Amino acid sequence: MGEVIVVTSGKGGVGKTTATANIGAGLAMLGHKVVLVDADIGLRNLDVILGLENRIVYDLVDVTQGNCRLRQALIRDKRFEGLHLLPAAQTKDKTAVSPEQMRELCGELKEMFEYVIVDSPAGIEQGFRNAIAGAEKAIVITTPEVAAVRDADRVIGLLEAAELNDPKLVVNRLRPRMVQRGDMMNIDDIIDILAIDLLGVIPEDEQIIISTNRGETVVQEDRSFAGQAFRNIVWRILGEPVPLMSFDRELGFFGRLRRLVGLG
Amino acid sequence: MAVQNILKEAAERKTVLVQRTLRSGQQMSYDGNVVILGDVNPGAHVTATGDVIVMGVLRGTVHAGARGDDEAVVIAFRLRPTQLRIAGHIARPPDQDAGNPEQPEIARVKDGTVVIEAFPPGGERQAKM
Repeated sequence: MGEVIVVTSGKGGVGKTTATANIGAGLAMLGHKVVLVDADIGLRNLDVILGLENRIVYDLVDVTQGNCRLRQALIRDKRFEGLHLLPAAQTKDKTAVSPEQMRELCGELKEMFEYVIVDSPAGIEQGFRNAIAGAEKAIVITTPEVAAVRDADRVIGLLEAAELNDPKLVVNRLRPRMVQRGDMMNIDDIIDILAIDLLGVIPEDEQIIISTNRGETVVQEDRSFAGQAFRNIVWRILGEPVPLMSFDRELGFFGRLRRLVGLG
Repeated sequence: MAVQNILKEAAERKTVLVQRTLRSGQQMSYDGNVVILGDVNPGAHVTATGDVIVMGVLRGTVHAGARGDDEAVVIAFRLRPTQLRIAGHIARPPDQDAGNPEQPEIARVKDGTVVIEAFPPGGERQAKM
């Protein structure tokens, strides 16, 4: 019996879909059976980021409406053995699915997979309610911006109200140099407000833009800084206590030197 | 002013204990005093007809004495509100550096304006030691 994890944020554009794709690919890379569920009905993206757009025949709404069997709608990833996608419908909207149907769907999926990762739409309306309906765990994504942290706080409150307790936090698109200069919120500022466990920190990385445009993930890239951060998150999900990565390499030689002499 | 005097009125009202942090979008209102064992985050809203005491960081909006009681007070371990309202008075932190002392503070109405002081009184001296 697998577990159902929802990836959510409140605010749009903070990296929910990218994180879903990379965490899923990372788990599959280590030999786990994973299905990614795109719950952003009407605005599907996850298939594009995984480069699986042209393989879609049936989608989530076809499954819930009984137009096809669940297995027919599942798409196997082209790179990672064990990684599957249940795409969202593009021509319907969020009212085409109910929270009860999502709960039932997630129940079926976790019989088949070790990890069911649901990519939530932005917002806190029905699409969000659908996405969290079948979940047992939640990952909240934020960026080091006041508005994103505010929305993350709102979402954590709603998750707690829905009895999805102990959500884990991922801080995305951190720019260590800006933090060092005091121009960006640091991790402590964010944790101070949100008061939940930190699952990982992903530095801003151009490689993410390059690879998502190509329909690829970064988690398998040994040299990518963000890829390393995603691999660490995957290990933590599996229960390994991986220390937070240091951003020294990002800070460069002088940054490290300043830190050594206590100025950093 | 002694602590007992500040909270004299409070003892005559009902008090509710909130044992969690109020997050953005969450609100509560109560006919009486409110004591929060947690933070009040930005975007959260607390309304009370009596006093409001936050045993944590107050970053959201609080309205004490909501039915027009000028004697109502707001006390927080760290007072960093988005906006403070006491009875009909509305106050917000200054746009420039608010100082943000690392000690409990009390907000109340004096001569028609909301003033903020260290709490308990004398806390300023303790902070300098």
